Amino acid sequence: MTPAYLQAQGLEVAFGGLRALQDCSFTVDKGRITCLVGPNGAGKTTIFNAITGFLKPQEGSVSFKGRVLDGLKPQDIVAAGIARSFQNLRLFQDLTALDNVLVALPNMAGEDPLGAIFRPLHAARALKQRRDEGREILAHVGLADKADIFVRNLSYGEQKLLTIARLLATGAELLLLDEPASGLSAGALEAVMVLLRRLQSEGKTLLVVEHNTRVVQKIADDVLFLHQGHLMAQGTPERIISDPALAEIYFGGAI
Amino acid sequence: MDFLYSYIALAEVYVLLGLSTNLLVGIAGIFTVSQAAVFGVGAYIVAYCLMHEIVGFVPALLLASACCVVLNVLVTLPSLRVSGDYFVVTSFGIQLMATAIFINWTGGTGGANGLPGIPPPDLFGFPLESNELLVLLTTAGTGFGCLAFWLIMRAPFGRLLRAIREDELAVAAAGKGVLRAKVSAAALAGAFAGSAGGLYATFLSFVDPSSFDLDASILLLTMVVVGGARTLPGSILGPFLLLALPQALAFIDIPTSIAASARQLIYGLLLIAFMLFRPQGLAGEKL
Repeated sequence: MTPAYLQAQGLEVAFGGLRALQDCSFTVDKGRITCLVGPNGAGKTTIFNAITGFLKPQEGSVSFKGRVLDGLKPQDIVAAGIARSFQNLRLFQDLTALDNVLVALPNMAGEDPLGAIFRPLHAARALKQRRDEGREILAHVGLADKADIFVRNLSYGEQKLLTIARLLATGAELLLLDEPASGLSAGALEAVMVLLRRLQSEGKTLLVVEHNTRVVQKIADDVLFLHQGHLMAQGTPERIISDPALAEIYFGGAI
Repeated sequence: MDFLYSYIALAEVYVLLGLSTNLLVGIAGIFTVSQAAVFGVGAYIVAYCLMHEIVGFVPALLLASACCVVLNVLVTLPSLRVSGDYFVVTSFGIQLMATAIFINWTGGTGGANGLPGIPPPDLFGFPLESNELLVLLTTAGTGFGCLAFWLIMRAPFGRLLRAIREDELAVAAAGKGVLRAKVSAAALAGAFAGSAGGLYATFLSFVDPSSFDLDASILLLTMVVVGGARTLPGSILGPFLLLALPQALAFIDIPTSIAASARQLIYGLLLIAFMLFRPQGLAGEKL
């Protein structure tokens, strides 16, 4: 049997007495959009943190394309091909949109002081090329004309698109998106959904935390239902949404 | 004319130091109050080497820079563990320790008396004895420092440092090593402070601990704040302005007995005023 594309096995994360993840296991298939749903506090963002090296699970293991990721630093996991966004965006407010993208481009010449001081021409030439690359990525998410605008002057919807551009810049093939559609107007929401579908058609695999069930129905190929740090169910959106027990949990029932 | 030369040379040394402080405080967000200690180590190393005729000026300056690179990395290492406010206290402790060593290690530093009679620097055997040549030397050194700073700020490394100052987690999520970049910034700041020390020692031909104490560190921070954080013009303006200030004050009729404390008072007021009314300094960005 070939190993799963992304596999989490028996993840355990506790913050003091709170068990944020309990024996949490799931798989993500290559080339699909998988939505991670569940009530507040179910552990969705904790899963992102555990996969991307931002926190070390006490138990359990994550592997990607057969490679075990446990103990790797966040930047090593990005290099392995997994990048994540943040629910609160965490863009660099004092940089331009283009610079936000450029920070995430890998293998940048002149990103060490010696290269910057002693090979300035080489760094400048390389930078010119990378700028074009950055502009292409911005154009790809629909921010072509915003390249030189400071993040703090972008609208919220544009900032959300920029977080996706920054993810794309890393070159990662598995993108973990934390609520890419929350807080958006109807038009912006539609644009994000179209963009996610397009990224999928270009070969990216997406794991998306999403609250809006209409969005989930529209974009998800697969749904992971998380409750109290445990994976309750995995299946197609139709199956998950029509399950009365899950709906009970999700829409305010007690368990 | 001598006064003008020493003013220019001293201001240039402080420009180099200001760039060092700016790299750490303004750009990488490592708030240190111990840059004068690193400056001092550079000065003492060059002074000691020249007085005991161990090596010539250029190798001594390189040695001082190298030692200060290592020292500054060690000194800023705590900033990678303790953040923000806590690091200020740590670095304050480092500054006090350094002053204690400068004063008490009489064998190496001459103690409170300092090291007088440092021989003039030489460039590959050619001694630079006149004031003109010495100013030329500090100008060349500081010029190179400014060029390096300018190159860094427009290179991807500068952007990475700015990003780190804003959000370390986001930088890690973008796949970049935060630790490595911070250590690089600290190393570079150490090289700047070390060479500033070497230039200082040879220009004055005398060093003593009072030039490298907490007051000096604070003066340095004042220069960065008043001039303006994170920009080259700011780093140049600050020292030239603040070093001219005592001379300007000399035109006001204050008794010499209180001149020193009046100066401290004015620096204090300046810091408060700038923080309140112009946090970006004269030609900089908001700290």
